[in-house]
Amino acid sequence: MPVEIRSARGLYRLAEAAPPESSPDSLVLTLALERADGVERVVLRCRIASALSASEADTAGLLARLKPWIEREFEPTREAALKSIRSERRLHEIVFDRAHPGPF
Amino acid sequence: MGLQLIAPDINIDFVGKRFFFVAVSTVINLAAILLLIFVGLNYGVDFVGGSVVQLKFDQPTSAERIRTALGSLDLGDVTVQDFGARDENQYLVRFETVKSVGSIGPRLEAALDRSYGATNKAQVLRVETVGSKVGHDLRIDGFLAVAFATVFMGVYIALRFRNVSWSFGAGAVIALIHDVLVVTGALVISRLEFDLTTLAAVLTIIAYSVHDTIIVSDRIREDAAKRRRESLDVTMNRAINETLSRTVLTSGTALTVVTSLLVLGGPILRPAAFTLFVGIITGTYSSIYIAGPVVLFWEKGRIGGKTAATRAA
Repeated sequence: MPVEIRSARGLYRLAEAAPPESSPDSLVLTLALERADGVERVVLRCRIASALSASEADTAGLLARLKPWIEREFEPTREAALKSIRSERRLHEIVFDRAHPGPF
Repeated sequence: MGLQLIAPDINIDFVGKRFFFVAVSTVINLAAILLLIFVGLNYGVDFVGGSVVQLKFDQPTSAERIRTALGSLDLGDVTVQDFGARDENQYLVRFETVKSVGSIGPRLEAALDRSYGATNKAQVLRVETVGSKVGHDLRIDGFLAVAFATVFMGVYIALRFRNVSWSFGAGAVIALIHDVLVVTGALVISRLEFDLTTLAAVLTIIAYSVHDTIIVSDRIREDAAKRRRESLDVTMNRAINETLSRTVLTSGTALTVVTSLLVLGGPILRPAAFTLFVGIITGTYSSIYIAGPVVLFWEKGRIGGKTAATRAA
């Protein structure tokens, strides 16, 4: 279920773009950040350390936790994600771990 | 003893060969104008409007197969191009803006899923859309930016060098128009995309070229003040030779960086890197063979062989 992201650029939706990848150390979410009118979409990855993601039972809970953080960091996150795909042709990855827990 | 690429007493007759080079440049500029009119630039989504979509497949596929798979979506004129390294299986798809853009990403993924099935999963990594009105406005604004930059550079140089001749401004403007025409002509031939980044590169070239012209013009002004009985063409040729080492070194080092960008910068930066590459070469050339001769033609036509002394006085 997508969550709505309110930004200076308008309303965006954050949703899963691919099934989560799980490993003993971390959970990787592939997320699509898409403007509500569809004129823009960018895919990015969030790597969440297992210790941080354990508190949420499912992806919907993780997305709800990510929402306020993405709203706050919207511009740099969007810009980095677009730049990474355009120039390096790979998905931008945000890492949340013990040193940088972000919203967790 | 340090490394010396150009001897300090070098004396190449640049000014003497001006008629030949002005003729060559005129032919190139006319060809560029004809190319712009009859072939046109390969405008990117920024300037014509439409959507650009970056796709990634699990397995290799072909542009034709993607076009066929998206046929059911009625996207208008669709172009598909390989993007990045072969093993990355990434493609750029461009199409005219669809009437209802909403959720184009999921719709594209669904259409590709239907066509490719589970054997070759496609992911829409990026969608960027520019409306045709915005694209048109950006094109007008881009043209105005280049025009204003060129004219105001000319006005500035005319004021700055008015004690030698007002014609330095005209020389700078004509040299800049020459550079813009050569660069855009090269872009038409190469079919590289002209987007906002390329426009920024064209504006950078205008700044670079005028900077080079100022260096040469400044030395002409100095030499004209020192050698008052010398004719302007002799003064000009000496000034170009005196600044040649600096011109070659500056352009050479800038070209080295831009060549790296052109070779290693990837497909997104290639049009801008190409623009800078051609622009640095033509900007250096025009400072010597266009800006100077325009001043000479102007002065000789106006006063017929009057010495530099009178003008610098």
